[in-house]
Amino acid sequence: MNAPAGLDLASIPERIQSEVQRAIQRSIKGVEYFSTSGPSLGSTPKDVLHSRGTMSLYHYRPMSDEIYRIPVLIVMATTNRGYILDLVPGQSFIEFLLKRGYDVYMLDWSAPRPEEKSLRMEDYVLDFIPDCVRRVQADSGEQDVSVIGYCFGGVLSLLYGAIHKDGPMKNLICFTTPIDFREMKLFSNFSDRRYFDVDRLVDSVGNVPPEMILSSFEMLRPASRTVSQIQLWENIWNDEFVKSYRMFDRWATDTLPLAGEYFRTITKDLMWDNKLFNDTMLVGGRAAKLEDIKVPFLHAVAEHDHIVPYEAAKHLVAKIGSADKEEVMLKGGHVSLVAGANAVKRLWPKLDSWLGKRST
Amino acid sequence: MTDKTNDPVAMWQKMVGEMEKGFNSFANQAMSSPEFSQAMNRAGGVAAGAQKQLGELMEKYLVTMNLPSREQVTGLAERLQSVEAQIGEIKSMLSQMAANSGLSQGFDGTPRPPRTRRPPAENGDPT
Repeated sequence: MNAPAGLDLASIPERIQSEVQRAIQRSIKGVEYFSTSGPSLGSTPKDVLHSRGTMSLYHYRPMSDEIYRIPVLIVMATTNRGYILDLVPGQSFIEFLLKRGYDVYMLDWSAPRPEEKSLRMEDYVLDFIPDCVRRVQADSGEQDVSVIGYCFGGVLSLLYGAIHKDGPMKNLICFTTPIDFREMKLFSNFSDRRYFDVDRLVDSVGNVPPEMILSSFEMLRPASRTVSQIQLWENIWNDEFVKSYRMFDRWATDTLPLAGEYFRTITKDLMWDNKLFNDTMLVGGRAAKLEDIKVPFLHAVAEHDHIVPYEAAKHLVAKIGSADKEEVMLKGGHVSLVAGANAVKRLWPKLDSWLGKRST
Repeated sequence: MTDKTNDPVAMWQKMVGEMEKGFNSFANQAMSSPEFSQAMNRAGGVAAGAQKQLGELMEKYLVTMNLPSREQVTGLAERLQSVEAQIGEIKSMLSQMAANSGLSQGFDGTPRPPRTRRPPAENGDPT
């Protein structure tokens, strides 16, 4: 019998041997996997500058002999933990920024407590962020502050910037930030106002449980969790693969609850009425129009983002009022844009070259 | 080198990848319908109602068992939070005092580097 075209018969014994070795390794490493914890995440040295309920402000200790004049405040998404930007040495965005000479602060969130269910959008935009900016100013001794917002942290940063048009924000960078919520098709359907009774939900549960947030993310790609577990088993002999899997899996499932009133506003004003896109958004009675943001602006979007599709983010740069503005589309997904091996090669150097010259 | 088209492992991986894409795409289409939204939210509404009732029942059970209620635990957490906040404020004041006295240093007491960094020149050399 002839071998099929392209099949190298001589390599078969070698291949069988390699697969047998991997099968043995899978059994050994499989036991190890369940008996050990994953890598320690978010370990770049930092100080807690301030903490109030769900909000924490960190200052990361400089790693450079000389730093840029303007400090950077990172505003994390309220659904997830900030350590996605500080995974492990060599794969930490924070560490990268510190080594490139930035003075880095992060506004991170913990699970809102039951009594924080009444936190509103204005508490985030008109209290938490301005409070952190003031503390960054006091701690750094500088009036100017650059802001980086990731995902919904980007939406909060946009609202903050649009309302506080006289400063002190000096530069604004958004990563994968949606503004046209009609284009988040599945989320939009999940929260269809004809069937989704947000008042009943919030009035019943107070804070929206993390399981519900996680399920809605996972429903966007329902087969992916099972497939990723198959891939883990196939690659469990590969320490680097397992390390990366554990880091991202831990973060992705470490979802935060959302404060009830805040979730109500997101649903009604953004998902239902698309107010940010329509320039009708009010926060605490103050108009938030994107055209009022006049500072240098960079928006990084991911080519294969399934959480924030490009359609939901593509009008942002056009609507910003600044003359100095840029959108950059990079390969990757919603998370791999900002963390992991792709981000190290793509987003981080781009951000450094853009922000460095605007940080003196 | 073995041709990927005849490599069983590569074929398996490709098949899993294709199945994932196919299933996700099929499910996304199904989930885009109003009927899906209606069914999902009906189920979600029932779950939320049940969760509320269960919470109230648990509260009564804890009182019967002479265990601290959520309100009492929350009260303790609030007091702890307030102590933490005050420590934070004291640290912040100390840092501010250090800054006012001309010492540029962080919380850990180490001096802060000068804010004099310039971006690298276009050719890659620091300016």
